[in-house]
Amino acid sequence: MAQDTNGVKDAGKWITEANPKPSYTVLIDDKHLVTKLYNMVNVPTGVWINEQGRIARPNEVAFADDRFKTFTGMDSTPYINALKDWAEKGDKSAYAMNEEQLRQKLATNDPGIALAAAEFGLGEQLYKSGHLTEAIPHFKEAQRLNPKSWNYKRQAWALSDSKRDYGTTFKDEVDKIGGSKVYYTPPDLPAEKKP
Amino acid sequence: MKAKFPALLLLLIMAAYSATAKETHATIVYDDVATELSGANEEANQLWVTKADLTRATRFELKPQGACQEKLCFPIPKARKQEFLRNNSGKSWFNLTAFAQLVQQPVAHDAALSTWYFGLRADQRQTLNSLEAPNFTLPDINGKMHSLSDFRGKKVFLVTWASW
Repeated sequence: MAQDTNGVKDAGKWITEANPKPSYTVLIDDKHLVTKLYNMVNVPTGVWINEQGRIARPNEVAFADDRFKTFTGMDSTPYINALKDWAEKGDKSAYAMNEEQLRQKLATNDPGIALAAAEFGLGEQLYKSGHLTEAIPHFKEAQRLNPKSWNYKRQAWALSDSKRDYGTTFKDEVDKIGGSKVYYTPPDLPAEKKP
Repeated sequence: MKAKFPALLLLLIMAAYSATAKETHATIVYDDVATELSGANEEANQLWVTKADLTRATRFELKPQGACQEKLCFPIPKARKQEFLRNNSGKSWFNLTAFAQLVQQPVAHDAALSTWYFGLRADQRQTLNSLEAPNFTLPDINGKMHSLSDFRGKKVFLVTWASW
C-alpha cells in the first residue's frame, strides 16, 4: 500500500520494476487515507486483520526482509516468524492480541491528530492544484500538531527542497533523535510463544 | 434601554451584512473529494453553502430528521437552528463549518485560496475503538479499485510503504 501524494508517478516504478513481480494486491494511496484512518506515523507499518475484519495486531514497524537492516539495525526474522505463526494459527497465535491488549495499543481519538490529518490533506490539495508555496504552511502545521508522524514530515519534504522550505533534511532529523538505529521502534513481540 | 440599543443595532448590522454577504468561489474537499463552488459565503471563518452545493460537495442532504448521508443522519439541534440554516438572496444556506463542529470534524482552511478541507468526522475515527479494521477503497496501478472489505473471510497483512 503506497503512501505517495504523487500516486503512480512516484510509486509506479516500485511496482512495475519489482522482482519478483508482486503476487499480492498492491494499492496506491495518493491521499494518505490509510495513514489517516489507522493513525499511522511511518512506513513500513503493518496491521494484521483477521477473517472477520477485526484487527489482530495494530500498527507496528513491519519489515518483510532485511534490505534496510544496515540503516535500522533490525532483523526482520522475528517479525516474519510471528506473521507466519499467525497465518497458521489465527487468533490462537501468541502474536494475535486479545481485546484488552488491542485497546491499550490502539491510538486514542485525539482531536489534535485529527486536525493534523486535515491540515496535511489541505496541504496535499493545494500542492496538487499547483500551489506548493501555499501548501507548505499547512504541511508544517500538520507536522507541529502530530510531531510523531514521519509520514507527514517525509512526504512533505519529498515534495520540495526540504532544506530550503523546512530548514531541515531527513538525515538532520534522524541525527537529532540519536541516529537511524533508534529511528524505528521494534515490534513488541512476546518473548516466548504461549503453549 | 441603554443596554438594549447597541445590541439591537448590532443585530441590525449583522442582518444587513448577512443579507448582502458576498458570494465567492470556494474549493471544498470532503471525504477526500474536491468540489469547486461558484457561490459560497465565507464570513468570520464560517463557510455557508447552498443546500444544493451541500449535497453536491458532501453527499449530505437536509431532511426533517437532520443532515443525512444515505442511512447516516445527524439531527440539527432545534434550539440552534439559526446557527446552521438561513435564507438570503433568495437561497437557502447551510453552515458547513458549524456542522463540522457539531459532528466533531476537523476543518483546515486556506483563506488566500478559499480552500476548505473537512477531515474525518468522529464517527469515522471511532472505528478503531470498535477494533474493526477501518474499510477503505483504493486503486491498484491499473486503476482497478479494491476495498479492504473484499478480503473478508481471508487474513489480511496490510503493510504500507512509500517511494520517499
